[in-house]
Amino acid sequence: MPWASSQTLDRIKRTFRKITIDTQPNFVCLIVEDTQEITNILKHLKDVEDFRYFIDFHVIDFPKEKDRFLGQYILVNPYTFERLAIKVWFKSNKLPTAKEIFAGAKWAEREAYDMFGVEFEGHEDVKRMFMWEDYKYFPLRKDFPLGGIPEQKLPSLTEVLEGNTFPPSHDYDIMHTYVPTIKDIEKTEKSRITKKGQLVLNWGPLHPGTHGTMWFLFDLEGEHIIQTDVILGQLHRGMEKIAENLHYFQFLPYTDRMDYLSAVCNELSYVQAVEKLANIEVPLKARYIRTMFAELQRINSHLLWLGTGALDLGALTVFLYAFREREKIMDIIEGNAGFRLTSAFLRIGGVHYDLAKGTLEVAKYFVKDFYSKLKEYHGLLTRNRIWLKRTKDVGVITQEDVYQYGLTGPVARGSGVAYDMRKIDPYAAYDLVDFDIPVGDIGDVYDRYLVRMEEMYQSARIVEQCIEALEKMPENEPYVNKKHPAVLPPKEDVFNDLEDMVKSFRIVVHGENMPKGEVYSSGENPRGELGFYIYSIGKSSPYRLRIRSCSFYNLSVFPKVIYKHTISDAVALLGSIDPVVGETDR
Amino acid sequence: MNDMVFTAIVIAIKILVVLAVTLGLGAYLTWYERKFAGHLQARRGPTVVGPFGLLQPLADGLKLMTKAPIIPRGVDTKLYYMAIMMALVPAIMLFAVVPFGPSFKIMGHEIKPIVANLNIAILYVFAMGSMAAYGTLFAGWASNSKYAFIGSLRKAALIVSYEVVLGFAALSVILLAGSMNVFDIVDSQIKSGVWYIVYQPISFILFLFCLLAESGRVPFDIQEAEAELVTGYNVEYGGMKFGIFPLAEWYLNVLALCAIASVLYFGGWAGPHIFGPFSGFIWFLAKTFGLLFFVLWVHWTLPRYQAKDVVEFAWKYLLPISIINLVGTAFFIYFKG
Amino acid sequence: MIKLKKLRRNDSLGPLESVLFLDFIKGLTITMKNLLRKPITTQYPKEKITPPKRFRGKHGHFVYDGQEPPSLKAIEGFMSFEKGKSRCVACYMCQTACPMPTLFRIEAIQMPDGTKKVVRFDMNLLNCLFCGLCVDACPVECLTMSDIHEMAVYRRAQAVIHMDDMEKIGATNAAAVRNLPDRIWRDDKERETLWGKVKWNF
Repeated sequence: MPWASSQTLDRIKRTFRKITIDTQPNFVCLIVEDTQEITNILKHLKDVEDFRYFIDFHVIDFPKEKDRFLGQYILVNPYTFERLAIKVWFKSNKLPTAKEIFAGAKWAEREAYDMFGVEFEGHEDVKRMFMWEDYKYFPLRKDFPLGGIPEQKLPSLTEVLEGNTFPPSHDYDIMHTYVPTIKDIEKTEKSRITKKGQLVLNWGPLHPGTHGTMWFLFDLEGEHIIQTDVILGQLHRGMEKIAENLHYFQFLPYTDRMDYLSAVCNELSYVQAVEKLANIEVPLKARYIRTMFAELQRINSHLLWLGTGALDLGALTVFLYAFREREKIMDIIEGNAGFRLTSAFLRIGGVHYDLAKGTLEVAKYFVKDFYSKLKEYHGLLTRNRIWLKRTKDVGVITQEDVYQYGLTGPVARGSGVAYDMRKIDPYAAYDLVDFDIPVGDIGDVYDRYLVRMEEMYQSARIVEQCIEALEKMPENEPYVNKKHPAVLPPKEDVFNDLEDMVKSFRIVVHGENMPKGEVYSSGENPRGELGFYIYSIGKSSPYRLRIRSCSFYNLSVFPKVIYKHTISDAVALLGSIDPVVGETDR
Repeated sequence: MNDMVFTAIVIAIKILVVLAVTLGLGAYLTWYERKFAGHLQARRGPTVVGPFGLLQPLADGLKLMTKAPIIPRGVDTKLYYMAIMMALVPAIMLFAVVPFGPSFKIMGHEIKPIVANLNIAILYVFAMGSMAAYGTLFAGWASNSKYAFIGSLRKAALIVSYEVVLGFAALSVILLAGSMNVFDIVDSQIKSGVWYIVYQPISFILFLFCLLAESGRVPFDIQEAEAELVTGYNVEYGGMKFGIFPLAEWYLNVLALCAIASVLYFGGWAGPHIFGPFSGFIWFLAKTFGLLFFVLWVHWTLPRYQAKDVVEFAWKYLLPISIINLVGTAFFIYFKG
Repeated sequence: MIKLKKLRRNDSLGPLESVLFLDFIKGLTITMKNLLRKPITTQYPKEKITPPKRFRGKHGHFVYDGQEPPSLKAIEGFMSFEKGKSRCVACYMCQTACPMPTLFRIEAIQMPDGTKKVVRFDMNLLNCLFCGLCVDACPVECLTMSDIHEMAVYRRAQAVIHMDDMEKIGATNAAAVRNLPDRIWRDDKERETLWGKVKWNF
């Protein structure tokens, strides 16, 4: 259902002769043989075939091939919700730019230049996305080592202060990768924006109003912003590179550090992608548990958005009320997974443990209380004239912006685009529960506020239905698919059963070889569509793992919408886009 | 000769009492606000220092005084230090015309519990309120920082607009009372038996808005909107230099204006004599603190306006309403005789 | 096909609401209601909340005391164990399963009678993700995580834990946690400040 149908593919094949179509069970792509044709093909797909919703663009490095880099676009038809991937090889490291066709490709191309060193014709003076301007290397290439190139001597603090050279731990190394100095950072700042107005204000990187370490540069004329740019990369940790060196099950704790406010949702998208690749079926109880926790995390994340959004706009008490509810949700998650924030609760093939005793009673108690608390938040904000003045008709995002920049999640739904992965490609237990998707009209900050408040209510409904279903299940239902060769067996089996101990040994030490192929699978994060693209060559770690992060593309619309608004509007708009820096920077 | 010495001693005592009480009260208002805000937000306020956190203001004062004085490069030092005084002094001077209770007799002399019984007391209040703008302007300019600059410009625009509205709003009450002397205003309310809020509810609401704007409280605290400008014009101040700004602006200013509001609209110290000889003082304090409770309650509930909306609100909506109110009151008095 | 819910966008105030400030009054009553409720703070460090059974805190080693699982009994003959000391078999599964490759440092020697003895087991907790994959990988129920979460130290060297501290944790703290029932919380009274009274079905 989510991939392009055979009629569409036939139509495309008849129009362009020099393309090959590759249909895999989880990935349908066109391989374009002539690099210069790519602009015509993209334009045709956008205007004639209606594939106008830009989702992603990324690059894969094949050092042994003739043309080293392979670029890949992913597009969606927003009327029939079909998805299509387009592959094209770079000719002598160059590719015609797509930023005239899809505006969101500009940031994707900047990231590709930053990570791989490729160039784009038509997109001159491309700036780095995450690294500072004078950085010499391109990190995601295959010849760049995982630990970086240690070329700077960085002694530990005790060495500097006391002269104590005894190494503090067994993995301490005095040589370190190059660390940027203040001069490098100032150079990056100066190169991003050329001043046209009266003063350039630095909003960030450490500021209570930006939701994390994002660095905005505002070119102000009085109080109105005439130019702005975003400098990202303060929280860049290189997760895509790390994934190429770990087994599939070992990468799981890293996924919940991306969008750290809704850890279970991230893990769910990743685990779905691996399960699709290896064809693992998940038992019913695990599906309900996953759905219940994902929806609890969605409420958690939206409550944080509500608290900080209201705090930025001056309503100081809503923050504390939202955190009171979050404490309750985190108590439920802590009782089951062990940790409140970065829970690592899911495993490939199911969940880590069965539900702890008493979870369902506590969750039922929470949901009953939550409906009355939602009414309180509505009473405090929704029809308050100051709130309306601050959020109505501010930061209007049109449907065309949504398609061009690849916006997903409540940002897209507030503008009228009904794109929700839970309904288009149902995963976990979303096809077994009943819920509605709220869709807005105008696309201003007030609409996105209403969409998220309604989503919280719908999530509470889903949690109620999951609790009902879980109560009816017998006690000993399996919570992990033990029979599949790629799934780690639970602990009781490892202790008592020799076969399971050997299986656990084999998976941990050698990893399980996943079948060859590609998969692109996405899930509905509270912030948008989080997609994982895995290119597997049959080993136990992926050859390329691409994380299509929703906050990254959602943030790219900020410079366009904020033109001629004031700083206070910038605060409201940023709150309503709701980026999380762990996900924009990965 | 004896009389003059006696008067001089009385004035000196009054000044000392008022200074001590207001500064001490200003510090303890921080405790009150933190406890209030805490319980409003489902948590407790300070509880560790002293029973119920009562010694917290002393601990805060000590902490602020012992902080390292960091002055950024390139500040205009004269203006930097003068700004602090320009913020604190008008706020304290406002207390010179606040009447704390009815006049009483000691040793045959009648003493009014007010430091300076001016005949133009309300005009003096307006003047001191406008002087508060200088503190922020100097602070923003001298700090040599873009955030401080933007913050102080916003505050200057705010004070200028809301002073005008304040003037017109209070003028209606002065018309009714017939004089600007605070004792005359209270006496005319006691004589007619009806507090002026019954006659002038619109004027009271306008005065309340101006009170919130003058002292920089939500919904009008645009100059220090934390998400936009961190702390606005006092972002480059540290230690006790920083501590003076909220003390003067948020607490002393609010207290003084609440006291003036209770004199103008709620009858000052009028009230049934159920507390014995001090009942006038107790009623006055009760009304002031009741109004303060309301101001704090509003602060911690409502969101804040944008800078351009605040100024637009004052000039386009509040000013016409206040002028219409004034003209209506004038006609009412003329025709009623 | 997709059940949409068009939002009701009731975004302008009527004249009565506008003049009488009804929207402000509604907000003020909600905060007044919350003012009169009991606060939900747990006053740390006077009152602490005990973490639940599944909490992932500082690591510990269970000791050799007769409660081992069958998987250890199968290879007991090859190891040289002491009563009251760790039951680690130096299989290096925890080190392989850890997403941080340099976190563990395990060394084992061969004793004169041919058995194996673990002499060094260091974990650099400054790099640890506390994900629990190492505990999942241990095949003999030796490595475990206790409920100690207050681990602040003054020097980096003090953050590296060695086998003797881990045995102590395993013998006392983790052993007590292991025998608890698998309930969502350990102490209901502490959680009552936030939750109120929860009705249990068992």
